[in-house]
Amino acid sequence: MGAPGVDSPWKDLDRQIDQLMKCSPLPEAEVKALCDKAREVLTEESNVQPVKCPVTICGDIHGQFQDLLELFRIGGNCPDTNYLFMGDYVDRGYHSVETVSLLVALKVRHRDRITILRGNHESRQITQVYGFYDECLRKYGNANVWKYFTDLFDYLPLTALVENQIFCLHGGLSPTLDTLDHIRAIDRRQEVPHEGPMCDLLWSDPDDRCGWGISPRGAGYTFGQDISEQFNAANGLNLVARAHQLVMEGHNWAHDQNVVTIFSAPNYCYRCGNMAAIMEVNESMRKSFLQFEPAPRRGEPEVTRRTPDYFL
Amino acid sequence: MPPQLPVAAGDSRRWEAASKRITSQRDLQRFLGSDALREFMAFLRALNTAVHGRLLSEAVPCSEAVTHLQAILTQLWEWVDEIPPLQQSLRYGNPAYRTWLQRVIQHAPEMMTQLLPPNLSGAQSELASYWVDSFGNSTRIDYGTGHETTFAAFLFCLARLSVVGHSDAPALVMRVFAQYLKLMRRVQTTYWLEPAGSHGVWGLDDYQFLPFLFGSSQLIGHSSLEPSSIQNDGLLKAHAPDYLYFAAVHFVRQVKKGPLAETSPMLNDISGVPSWNKVNSGMFKMYHAEVLSKFPIMQHFLFGSLLPFPDS
Repeated sequence: MGAPGVDSPWKDLDRQIDQLMKCSPLPEAEVKALCDKAREVLTEESNVQPVKCPVTICGDIHGQFQDLLELFRIGGNCPDTNYLFMGDYVDRGYHSVETVSLLVALKVRHRDRITILRGNHESRQITQVYGFYDECLRKYGNANVWKYFTDLFDYLPLTALVENQIFCLHGGLSPTLDTLDHIRAIDRRQEVPHEGPMCDLLWSDPDDRCGWGISPRGAGYTFGQDISEQFNAANGLNLVARAHQLVMEGHNWAHDQNVVTIFSAPNYCYRCGNMAAIMEVNESMRKSFLQFEPAPRRGEPEVTRRTPDYFL
Repeated sequence: MPPQLPVAAGDSRRWEAASKRITSQRDLQRFLGSDALREFMAFLRALNTAVHGRLLSEAVPCSEAVTHLQAILTQLWEWVDEIPPLQQSLRYGNPAYRTWLQRVIQHAPEMMTQLLPPNLSGAQSELASYWVDSFGNSTRIDYGTGHETTFAAFLFCLARLSVVGHSDAPALVMRVFAQYLKLMRRVQTTYWLEPAGSHGVWGLDDYQFLPFLFGSSQLIGHSSLEPSSIQNDGLLKAHAPDYLYFAAVHFVRQVKKGPLAETSPMLNDISGVPSWNKVNSGMFKMYHAEVLSKFPIMQHFLFGSLLPFPDS
């Protein structure tokens, strides 16, 4: 793109990104326009979106906006560093609106530099229980912004493939999906279903036991080392990178290095005491982990107390 | 207190182990309109009224059953001493929790039998279902407001069986429930239980609800402490030993890092409510809406002959 100036087609977007980097949410109308543009970008992406190295792979964020800024400080700014986020941008944290707005704005601005996948929390049903819906109501006074984003979530790609070697997704494997072509054939433009292949990709977890198991989460499956080895061999892969589970060091190898879990929300829910991590994959596909702690907060957030309806 | 079950000596009624009955929104609606729920809410109201304006340090009459309940909760506390967390830092939850809970399950039949008069010993297994489910989930290594509700249902069943009576109501909250909370806080922090279905910052608390409900009743009519007093760390600490509400907020302040307005916006909002009376009535509405009416929580709730699912 040309040098930034009055005539830059990105003038508005760059201003919005600057505003979001200061943790200031966009007005409702701008969110709508942003989501419209993002839908055009995301609809062109594959269910198995190809990604080139070098790239830095990140796990759950969950509305921990200050920690996302810390991630960019540690890993480098977008677009100087290429990023692949594996979902769960919203729910639980205080700043889901600012977090998902920034990531979507960066996606529209630098579509080839950042990939954003869908997590199990990028769903209408889940966000109505775990906080994003409440946060939108509180910050905008109505549910329109929640609707714009959750409608956009239907377009997020389900998985990504780094240089045909590292398969990245939020949750894990599915007993109904043996090959990447099976995944490419899914019609993903829908709410995350309660069961079936699309649900499994966003909900499953690796397990110490072999084979497929019933997930205690009530959705997806657990899968053993035999399954991971078989999937990687059948698809010419050397690693499944996924997120979805809180791991104390921020990353955790499993299944004899066939699977790695990456979690990028430090001190999850303000209380869990875990480190966060991101995985850098360099030009020669060498992997290294960068760990980080919660970002120092700059004073109290600007909040106005509002009496919840129950207490009026 | 709920209507007592008409159980004569040597009664030959059939007891059953309690089981999950809510598998759909329709089931949940049936439960919400049932006598069982009405009686359960009436029981909570009776407990709530029994602690109006009372301090935990006050003397309360303790029946043999209450003393017995305290003794078995102490036994569970001592098992935490005997079962230290394992050295591991991969996932969040510590697997030693499973050993602890296994011991609770193993000793449940004898503990319940000791609580019951001989003519009611058949109720042992039904009561044990509630007892063991009050302490969290072994597979997921998590704990939440659903488990807390099950403990309240356990107390309800004891009242139905007349093991505890109306005069026990203050002690059930100020001794038994207070001790249960202390135990669960220790279990949460020792074994790093994941918050089951946490709303993150957008819920009242990651794990508990009822200390805020009973605790606000204790404070009704207090001459100097107001809902806004929780904003004062000195007051919070000074009054935590006497009031469940202050103890609960104090615990949140200890385990969550960050400003209250950001880590717990609900508690922050409620601190602006003008009176404890309003807080207390709001807590009942909120408990009904956010715990008892939520499918993800109530799908695990247990029903039996003491707390029957409608039409069964």
